[in-house]
Amino acid sequence: MSFGYLIRRIITSIPTVLFVAFVVFIIIHLVPGDVVDMMLGTQNYLTQEQIQELYKQYGLDKPLIVQFGVWLKNLVTLDFGTSLRSGKKVAALIADRFPVTLELSILSMFFATIIGIPLGIIAAIKKNSFTDGLVRVIGLVGLSSPSFWVGAILIVIFAGLFKGFNIFGYVRMQEDFLKNLQVMFLPSLTLGLMLSAQIMRMTRSSMLDVLQQEYIKTAKAKGVSYSKLIGKHALKNALIPIITLSGIQLGYLLAGTIVIENMFALPGLGRLLLQAVNERDYPVIQFVVMFIALIIVALNIVVDFIYTLIDPRVELK
Amino acid sequence: MKKFLVAILAVFAVAGIFAADGRLIIAMETEPVGLDPHLVTAFASHRVLENIYDGLFRYDENMRLIPNLAEEAKAVDPYTIIFKIREGVKFHDGTPLTVEDVLFSFQRILDPDTKSPAAAFYQDVESIKAIDNNKIEFKLKKPMASALLPNFAGVNSSIVSKKFVESGKNMQLETNGTGPFYLAEYVPGNYIILKKNPYYFVKDQPKFDEIRIVFMPEEVSRVAALKNGDVDIAKINEPLNLKQFPEGKFKIYRSPVLSYYLIGINTTRKPLNDPRVRNALNYAINREAIIKAVAFSEGVVTGPLNPAVQPWALQPKAFDEYTYNPAKAKELLAQAGYPNGFEFEIVASQRYNFDKVAQVIQAQLAEIGVKVKINLVEWGIFVKKWRESDFDAFISMNSGSIEPDIQFYRTFHTGGSTNVFLYSNPRVDELLDLGRSEVDISKRKAIYDELQRIIVKESPVIFLYSANQVFVSNASVEGFKLLANESLVFLRETYKK
Repeated sequence: MSFGYLIRRIITSIPTVLFVAFVVFIIIHLVPGDVVDMMLGTQNYLTQEQIQELYKQYGLDKPLIVQFGVWLKNLVTLDFGTSLRSGKKVAALIADRFPVTLELSILSMFFATIIGIPLGIIAAIKKNSFTDGLVRVIGLVGLSSPSFWVGAILIVIFAGLFKGFNIFGYVRMQEDFLKNLQVMFLPSLTLGLMLSAQIMRMTRSSMLDVLQQEYIKTAKAKGVSYSKLIGKHALKNALIPIITLSGIQLGYLLAGTIVIENMFALPGLGRLLLQAVNERDYPVIQFVVMFIALIIVALNIVVDFIYTLIDPRVELK
Repeated sequence: MKKFLVAILAVFAVAGIFAADGRLIIAMETEPVGLDPHLVTAFASHRVLENIYDGLFRYDENMRLIPNLAEEAKAVDPYTIIFKIREGVKFHDGTPLTVEDVLFSFQRILDPDTKSPAAAFYQDVESIKAIDNNKIEFKLKKPMASALLPNFAGVNSSIVSKKFVESGKNMQLETNGTGPFYLAEYVPGNYIILKKNPYYFVKDQPKFDEIRIVFMPEEVSRVAALKNGDVDIAKINEPLNLKQFPEGKFKIYRSPVLSYYLIGINTTRKPLNDPRVRNALNYAINREAIIKAVAFSEGVVTGPLNPAVQPWALQPKAFDEYTYNPAKAKELLAQAGYPNGFEFEIVASQRYNFDKVAQVIQAQLAEIGVKVKINLVEWGIFVKKWRESDFDAFISMNSGSIEPDIQFYRTFHTGGSTNVFLYSNPRVDELLDLGRSEVDISKRKAIYDELQRIIVKESPVIFLYSANQVFVSNASVEGFKLLANESLVFLRETYKK
């Protein structure tokens, strides 16, 4: 991948990110109930004048487009805003929480691939057998189960079976590596299971596709050992659509973390976003969503780059 | 593959790290929104801050006012209160508490720029001044000294350090109080660590060196964490979950609360603008059935004040409307000109089972031919509708108060800041003003008795029930108590066997 290509990709993705930011800005301001409503709740104690004063203080009295302009201007000067509710800098909040979500996503992806890919391969090799049917049924169940339900079941099972296994109480990796892995195990497994169903189905169909190819028959005729045939010749070519899917999935994962982080009380980005939406904490919502958009754009570039590693014929220009 | 998974599990299943005994871990469902005691409105903020800051008063376990930073308080006459400030108290940063700090705290609350919720409570204060270096005197515009006193126990009336605030600290992020604990660490979305204040003025308190409050929004997680030994105490919202905590291994704490579920009615919309119609609804509602269906019997029927915790409360049986009587309801509807019932909309959100309460009420009112349409909305949208009185009726929960003036005045006085029912009754206004300024207890009781009767009869609000607050701890926890105002001040007296 040439350096010029990378720069081009980054430049062309700027409008995408800005468009996302604009749409989100409009949507969150159009939703009834604003940050002042949420502050006063149903225990209002302020006079009408004081309430108007609050709107002014937060700059919410200006037209939306002006507010968006102010936000953009601050963005250019690297001022990402301050939470209206907690008074903390949004950038600090994200720096604090992103590592949690990142770790959760990576671990989930890890579980999804070590469960999904082998099962997909088995199903493809044993096409239309009982095993294949079983794997496909499991896949279907996995696809249709909501993550909060799977999470709850896993919590109940683990709390009952393994006394002393830390399910809750997040600690940072650098503080206590083992405990961190313990606490991250169940939420990652939950998310991983949800994802593995899709990866498994994709692996199965992609493998079936490749196994039909002429060169596989040639390799077979040449007497290549079965394991080498599957592992080296077939899987490598079957991986491309799987990687595409995984890349897209990683983006979706960021959304999936909202439910899981709430469930397992993890201090990640998803939970921050949910809280911010509930509180109508505009600066936080705004920047977190933009941050996620940036991540997804970056992921797309990374996925394209991985293609070139797997398939030398793919060239990025 | 299987072997691989088992191996991973084995690595993970290293025994967990349990809480040391000098530390208590408590799981709550919500976390603070800001830490400035004069600004916070979120209940979750109050629960944390009352362990960090002190007011002039506080409540004992029977919700009686007891001296806190004020050694004593005297209502010299209905217009004057004098507090004597406790000597030898220090803030967490080691600076001694002075009368100046107390004076500064109330000036800060009353400053319109602060926008403190407590400013509304003290709007009838004429002047505040320090006398004799250790006393502070409040002069009032109206003779309401006794009605004012409970406000001094609220988090919003906490005493802050003048020096600390004036040094330009962001009070929403940093704390410096005189309370039993100081804030050692706050990781948003994860936990708060409170540590023992070595200067705390009450001997032998707090018992724990450290209290860790962990935030777990999901009930299933709190239940599992408690069973698993990850936490020592947890708040439980679904009474059904109590079955999972066998006696002997766990302790269950229940207490009635001041907050209450209600149907709020817009008294300006037809046909609900007719008091007879509202009163008919009151007769047609079976509160016991709601408590059974929604709260699994963890609650008490309440009139305008909760009889379980409120000395001013009339018992529910004092109101005719509290005897379920659909025939009477139909009769009233016929009188008002609606013999075949009518249709209206109830706005509710999915918090605290409001949606379930709405469903039970929908079924109950169907019995008298009244059709209820339930409009379920997200909480933010609900608040907006509430503020703009944009509803026929709604289901919600109000926080009560041990002082009837605080609970009733802004809710039922014409133009009161939480009178979203747009209710207006000259006699009610008169009683509210009288109740504020009356010092004689028995006369005051008569005033509030009459007020409660009028409110039930006219039904701008239909009071339903109070759900008990429930906490569960493991068996080693001692000294933990609940208060009717749902505060956690007894964490300072909690210890482990």
